[in-house]
Amino acid sequence: MPEPKRLLSIPDLHNLKRFLRATPALVLLALPLVAAQNAPPDAFAQTVAPFVQKNCALCHSEQTKSGGLVLTKYHDTASLIHDRDVWEKVVIRVRAGEMPPKGMPRPAPAQLAEVTNWIDAQFAELDRTTKPDPGHLTAHRLNRVEYNNTIRDLLAVKFKPAADFPADDSGYGFDNIGDALSVSPVLMEKYLAAAKKIATEAIPLSLITPKPTRLRYSPEHLAKEPRPELDHSFDLPSEGDYDLRASVNGRQDSFRVQLLLDGKEIKTDDVLIEKDKPRGYELRLHLPPGEHSFEAILTHRDPTPEEAATAAKMKADDEAGMAKQIAKHPEDEKQIRLQHALGETPTYMDSLEIKGPFNASPVPLPESYKRIFLCGHPIGQHNKECVRSNLAQLASLAYRRPATSAEVSKLTKLVSLGEKDGLNFEQSMRLGVEAVLVSPQFLYRLEHDPKADPGAVHPIGDYELASRLSYFLWSSMPDPQLLQLAAEKRLTDSAVLHAQVRRMLLDPKAAALIDNFAGQWLELRNLDSIHPDPVQFPEFDNQLRQAMYTETRMFFASVVEEDRSILDFIDAKYTFVNERLAKFYGIPGVEGNQFRRVEVDGSERSGVLTQASVLAITSYPTRTSPVLRGKWIMENVLNTPPPPPPPGVGSLDEKGGPLSGTMRQQMERHRANPVCAGCHVRMDPLGFALENYDAVGHWRTEDASQPIDSTGVLPSGKKFSGSAELKAILAANRNAFAECLTEKMMIYALGRGLEVYDRAATRKIVANLASHDYRFSTLIEGIIESAPFQLGRADEGNKTE
Amino acid sequence: MILTQKHLSRRGLLRGVGTAVALPMLDAMFPALSSAAKTAKRVAPNRMVYVYVPNGIDMRNWRPDTVGSAFNLPKILSPLAPVRENVIVFSGLKDHNGEALGDGPGDHARAAASFLTGVHPRKTAGSDISVGISVDQVAAQKIGSATRLASLELGCEDGHLAGNCDSGYACAYVNSISWRTPTVPNPPEVNPRAVFERLFGSDEDAADPSARARNAKLDQSILDLVSDDTKRLQRDLGPTDRRKLDEYLTAVREVERQVQVGEKQAAENNVAVPNMPKPDGIPLEFAEHAQLMFNLMAIALQSDITRISTFMLAREGSNRSYREIGVPEGHHGLSHHRNDPALMDKVAAINHHHMEQFALFLQKLKATPDGDGSLLDHTMIVYGSGISDGNKHNHDDLPVLFAGGSRVFKTGRHVKLSESIPVANLYLSMLDAMGVPTEKLGDSQGRLNYLTDLT
Repeated sequence: MPEPKRLLSIPDLHNLKRFLRATPALVLLALPLVAAQNAPPDAFAQTVAPFVQKNCALCHSEQTKSGGLVLTKYHDTASLIHDRDVWEKVVIRVRAGEMPPKGMPRPAPAQLAEVTNWIDAQFAELDRTTKPDPGHLTAHRLNRVEYNNTIRDLLAVKFKPAADFPADDSGYGFDNIGDALSVSPVLMEKYLAAAKKIATEAIPLSLITPKPTRLRYSPEHLAKEPRPELDHSFDLPSEGDYDLRASVNGRQDSFRVQLLLDGKEIKTDDVLIEKDKPRGYELRLHLPPGEHSFEAILTHRDPTPEEAATAAKMKADDEAGMAKQIAKHPEDEKQIRLQHALGETPTYMDSLEIKGPFNASPVPLPESYKRIFLCGHPIGQHNKECVRSNLAQLASLAYRRPATSAEVSKLTKLVSLGEKDGLNFEQSMRLGVEAVLVSPQFLYRLEHDPKADPGAVHPIGDYELASRLSYFLWSSMPDPQLLQLAAEKRLTDSAVLHAQVRRMLLDPKAAALIDNFAGQWLELRNLDSIHPDPVQFPEFDNQLRQAMYTETRMFFASVVEEDRSILDFIDAKYTFVNERLAKFYGIPGVEGNQFRRVEVDGSERSGVLTQASVLAITSYPTRTSPVLRGKWIMENVLNTPPPPPPPGVGSLDEKGGPLSGTMRQQMERHRANPVCAGCHVRMDPLGFALENYDAVGHWRTEDASQPIDSTGVLPSGKKFSGSAELKAILAANRNAFAECLTEKMMIYALGRGLEVYDRAATRKIVANLASHDYRFSTLIEGIIESAPFQLGRADEGNKTE
Repeated sequence: MILTQKHLSRRGLLRGVGTAVALPMLDAMFPALSSAAKTAKRVAPNRMVYVYVPNGIDMRNWRPDTVGSAFNLPKILSPLAPVRENVIVFSGLKDHNGEALGDGPGDHARAAASFLTGVHPRKTAGSDISVGISVDQVAAQKIGSATRLASLELGCEDGHLAGNCDSGYACAYVNSISWRTPTVPNPPEVNPRAVFERLFGSDEDAADPSARARNAKLDQSILDLVSDDTKRLQRDLGPTDRRKLDEYLTAVREVERQVQVGEKQAAENNVAVPNMPKPDGIPLEFAEHAQLMFNLMAIALQSDITRISTFMLAREGSNRSYREIGVPEGHHGLSHHRNDPALMDKVAAINHHHMEQFALFLQKLKATPDGDGSLLDHTMIVYGSGISDGNKHNHDDLPVLFAGGSRVFKTGRHVKLSESIPVANLYLSMLDAMGVPTEKLGDSQGRLNYLTDLT
């Protein structure tokens, strides 16, 4: 018992109790002084608890539970850490000014900062002191794209077998999630069938001489579209004579046709008006096998006086003929006129065709053959030793690590079984190839834990790192250089790794990162399945669809290739268009099919949000949807996906029955109904900003004959008018976007969903981005250097989901 | 039909009956006499088919006004007129596990996932999906080994690409109605060419029986090799990875079984070869696509390549438009009609269009001889949706009809149940007829009593 201080004398001990009872405040004041020097729980009580009590408790207590959130039940830092996701969301919304909601008193900015920074600091400290947990990557089956690419890189196979495989199931928005990818018996059947087809094509029994066939390229043509040129790449099977032909359709006219092969002009024709002569221009050439580009260009020229006279006469004849037909069948007048109008279509290039080969030589030995028979012997001249060495090479590449002697022996045994059964050498070798291609070591990316305790964290092996790298950046197998570095155990060296990443990003195979990541992050893959109503949007056809996709693809590629800031995704003032798309956007001065870069001023178009592709996939066939667009922004830019709608709600009336006016006016209903308002007050304004873009992405200033109102107010109170101002707000929130993109890219890179233990890695990457101008390569390198990417946790059987 | 020893190939006959779409002519021959001695006495087996339509039905134009055998055919059911006597329209079946039961929105995902399983699916958009085994797979597990393909899953609309398909439910739930295990769906095949190749093999597998037999044996060796490899691998892997590879082994075993059956058939000269051209790919118009798939299913059933099949005419939640019948808006959007009669009429038009395709299929089966009756007599077919009214998203008073199977059930009537009964009860009765008596499936409460009644 401590000596009582001067305040109290010993004889007053029994008075002490009375004193203490009488003055509890004194005691209570003393405690925090003591405790503050030790444990956090009191710091919580000092900072967060009073803040919550003052600003949040009214709506978020046990009794009121607004939005299902109770904040008054947290009393110490441990409980805060336990519900980390909840509190991280609280900090975001409070910082954004969305909470407390409009109408409620606002906390002082200094206080708000103190509290949110303190909470941040707790999590940062936690991340700093906890040992990194990289998670466990489950045996990861190749998805369809990865299968096609891997086959292409392994055996130079030209066709895409996985087109026939059932669709991959996806998770977290991506189709390369190990846990979500399963193997059904149907898929196994297809693997076997694909393996046979590949083996048969890769190992021909003899080199056949192909029969002539017809290869034709004739894209869809819209009535009024001028199309003066066509070009296409044709893959010719063998050396021989080929008939190349370009045909023209449309009005009888004077023009010149030029044919070009592989960029060189091979024929020019000046065409006079010839009514009944064929409108095709062709010639026969002797060509080597392989890819060739064939192009036809049509240029108009002024008619000679004779041509003009012939034209006038032909027109007069046509009119007379039409009049006669109408006289005979007056009830069909409309049809007859329509048919004649077709003849008024401006002349255009209709199709390119190559027929052949005639007088053909046998096809060359396929590249795949050379990849399998590394011994180099031609067909029919192999010896027995070739079997083992060739299979060993193939298996090591296919399994993405050296094949063991036992594995190779099994394969050679299979091949001899074939020969015993009466197959010849080539047919037997096919069996070996098939077995490799249906082996789980080919179909799955397997990571072996060292014989350590389950749950132990360890660096992954070099070969495993090589696979993670190549499937991340190329959606395909590691190339010989990566495998060589893995064999030398040098891949984990930081400088080597950096150099490899740079090399890989510049390699053409990095197109896979653009197609597969961007295709899913921006949901571009959905572009294939939208069908805008042709009555309302007659200009929409497959060529426009393709152009929209190409624009966004090239835009994403430019950020990667030029190592631009990721914020350019939001509002960069340039894009890529061809003539068709430029006309659609109202950008003048762009001619021809080639895509080229154009600068834009940002008033109507900038970044991806206002590219036609994104606008079209966030619409319905007959109208826009501010809700879909708002949701898209929340999911893919803000990383705050809205929860699903509560039960019992339908969607807005299609035709605007009891609802009338512009789309925006109809949506006011969302805000009027309190059940809906909570989420829609955040989602709808984002979509309203994009109401100037119709359901196919065309700029418009009116909807239902009324001017578009694209103003909005965010829950924080920030006002904006139009897409440009919205983008400015989104771009200003740099770290929020950086975190969004980082998380999505990490899911894609790892092939698993993110857990709480990944937060530390994400934070580090975002901090790094902030100090490196948000460059794209910083993002990629950050992910590759992170603990989840470089380490593995030994499988201990409890699923993370 | 002349059966001789020389006729070593067996083909399926199907005659198109009054169809608007040009269909290929298909001949069939019964198996050669050598095994015909057995098969002539062999009783044609029962088959089981489930056809699914999404987004509910316009019940105003579906529900007959009268009950019993004198029932009327409202607009959506009118295409069934030529096969009226082979159909039972049910009123009063329910799919209780399509309801929210506390899980909030997601009726489309729940409807499709529970329709053939009777189980409430786990609400997740991640990879831990879980529902139950579907009735077709319960049958396939027991009798599937009698045929080369245990079952056949068909569809007309490919799976959705992005991860979250209906209010927090994974896409797997709306893309399939057939579930092999509670966690592994059997996604439908939508490309007719791929279906054709599954049924009849690709060109390489020629008509040469000895080549087929030898190929089958070698396939076996390959599959043995990879099975062994996998088991060896599993010894070094942790539990999660072992489970993943178990899935792979199961798939390999199933393919091995198919190869064995194929081998046996080749040895008996009992191989199905079609007399229809191989389809090029997916037709542009729905009606043509649906007819092609129904044709292929009919051939598969008739040739005993399989006895169990499911067909999703579109994904649940489908927003496909049907411009060719004057409906350019998306189906799902229309189904949220908010009781506007104009929109309900458009929904009815889509429902009618689907029914037209189904009716043609039934007529085809009826005109196909099978054993001592017609293929329709020996095939039990359910046509329906897990949602009743698309706007209300209710899962009771389901639009369900039963067709065929007249060898086992009394057809040609409208049965109105006095109380709401789980549709899974109907499935238990069907499983009995397939020789797979089962005590419980999902939320079933016994067999359905009305199938053999005379009223």
